[in-house]
Amino acid sequence: MNLRILKDKISSRLMLAATVFACLLFFLILIGLYIRASPILSTVPITELLFSEEWSPNAGKFGFLPFIMGTLWVTVLATIIAVPISLLSSIYLSEYAGVHLREAVKPLIDLLAGIPSVVYGLWGVLAVVPFIKNTLAPALGAETIGGYGILAGGIVLSIMVFPIIISVTGEVLRSVSHDLREVSLSLGATKWQTIKHVVLRKARPGIFAAIVLGFSRAFGETMAVLMVVGNVPKVPSSVFDPAYPLPALIANTFGEMMSIPLYDSAILLAALMLLTVVLVFNIIARMVLIKIERGVI
Amino acid sequence: MSETHIQIDNVNAYYSGNHALKNISVQIPKKQITAIIGPSGCGKSTLLKCMNRLIDLTDEITYSGKILIDGENVFDKKTDIINIRKKMGLLAQKPTPLPMSIYENIAYGPRIHGLRKKPDLDNIVEKYLKLVGLWEEVKDRLNSPASNLSIGQQQRLCLARGLAVEPEIILCDEPTSALDPVSSQHIEQQLLKLKEDYTIVIVTHNIHQAMRLADYVVHLYLGELVEHGTANEVFENPKEERTRAYINGTFIPEYTIDTEVNLKGNECPYNFIYAKQALHKLGKGKILKVIVDYPTAVTEVPRGMEADGHNVLRVKQINESDWEILIRKN
Repeated sequence: MNLRILKDKISSRLMLAATVFACLLFFLILIGLYIRASPILSTVPITELLFSEEWSPNAGKFGFLPFIMGTLWVTVLATIIAVPISLLSSIYLSEYAGVHLREAVKPLIDLLAGIPSVVYGLWGVLAVVPFIKNTLAPALGAETIGGYGILAGGIVLSIMVFPIIISVTGEVLRSVSHDLREVSLSLGATKWQTIKHVVLRKARPGIFAAIVLGFSRAFGETMAVLMVVGNVPKVPSSVFDPAYPLPALIANTFGEMMSIPLYDSAILLAALMLLTVVLVFNIIARMVLIKIERGVI
Repeated sequence: MSETHIQIDNVNAYYSGNHALKNISVQIPKKQITAIIGPSGCGKSTLLKCMNRLIDLTDEITYSGKILIDGENVFDKKTDIINIRKKMGLLAQKPTPLPMSIYENIAYGPRIHGLRKKPDLDNIVEKYLKLVGLWEEVKDRLNSPASNLSIGQQQRLCLARGLAVEPEIILCDEPTSALDPVSSQHIEQQLLKLKEDYTIVIVTHNIHQAMRLADYVVHLYLGELVEHGTANEVFENPKEERTRAYINGTFIPEYTIDTEVNLKGNECPYNFIYAKQALHKLGKGKILKVIVDYPTAVTEVPRGMEADGHNVLRVKQINESDWEILIRKN
């Protein structure tokens, strides 16, 4: 056989193998987690795992509710803070700002996405936590454990979510046809009326996808949250309470106290839950975005 | 020449350094159709967008000069541009329904200008859909998305939407270039009817369309105003060599008329019936010329003939009250 053709065949097979390996990895992780988590799934009923508040591995009690609620509180709070700010700024950037400002701000926002999460954590410990402890909590008459808690976690996390929501929303807004804006303006609508009634209406599914992507990023974020959230395994009842999100649980405890029966399996179950939720969110968001690209929505 | 509606005075425009419009000065007559003709990229659309300042949406654009509409300078930053735009309906190149229902598309304009009462909005929707001849086709599905309509219907919806804010001027940017021949003809007939009440400016690179529609013609070439004047002057006897070349570069059909029927003084539907009888006596492929002076006949006779499978070759106003319609029997 001709050497050229042989090379061509080998290189294409090699690339295929690399691609398959990369895709397979995800399923291997999923399967691996499931196998390692199955001991606890077969001993403790799933309802108890999900809805019991009691977490004392020494006594064989594995209730994940505090961690699940901790994750939800922090993530939802972060989303509540992040969504309005990032939506307003991406609307400003794509609809009002001139081309020069837009081009200048874009790399800055990408930079924000590139900052290591431990740096955000440090910033949280050095700036956000003292601010809550000394200023915000006293002003509102709330009790905190030295400023650590859901609020600090939510604030830090929201800033980490900004770049993703801003850039995806920006893409979506720019994909709204220029003609639509012209039509609305030509009817005598103001810029804001045009944005509100036409652009945002058209972009709604895409913005939803951007928020879901941001949400799923917040869901799995570990380091920065772990540093400011307080890490107390109790179901929280206010934003000033400390919490213990699932990623923090995994990072803090895996590899320690492995002598306790089922402990290791419980932690891997936590990882499995996290992966599943993030996966589902991502699939929903991607599906919406793909539909927009194809012009279905 | 009749009264001026839009006065364009020494307008210059630059796209990031590129000189797109060069010292354009021209007066656009009231309640007539003005066609802006010229090859692609000659600044036709730019000039149109200057009139309602949609040009502001373009990045890195600068412009100077004056455009006066009812004594107000559009280019003056102090001018209430919202109000100016309300006076000018826009019919874009591609039908662009807003992402809402048929009803909402028409109601959108009146609503943003503060009309809230449902019965008033209902009346407006019905009135303008009827005006563009779309009411019968859509009255049972007003709440379905406008994007479900055919392209031709969408364009008529867009026309109705523009009219619903009660403009004085209609700006058309190659309004039929995305449409099939029958839909194009619908739009052209609407425009001919509308010029009784509106000043119409149409950008077109289709010289036949300009000939069918225009009372006044503006010829642009590479951002320069080559020639402007009444349609007769420009098309029959252009002063400029470049205009002559542009017009002759495209085929001007000369039809041999086989039979001519004068239907002046008749009402509809008799116009249509008499035209049909005359056509009946003709052989296949022969051409019938009909002269009418009844306003509805101008749109209804061609529409009926199309429906019967004949070709409508030309609909043209020949004087103050009369129109000629050329039909080829199939």
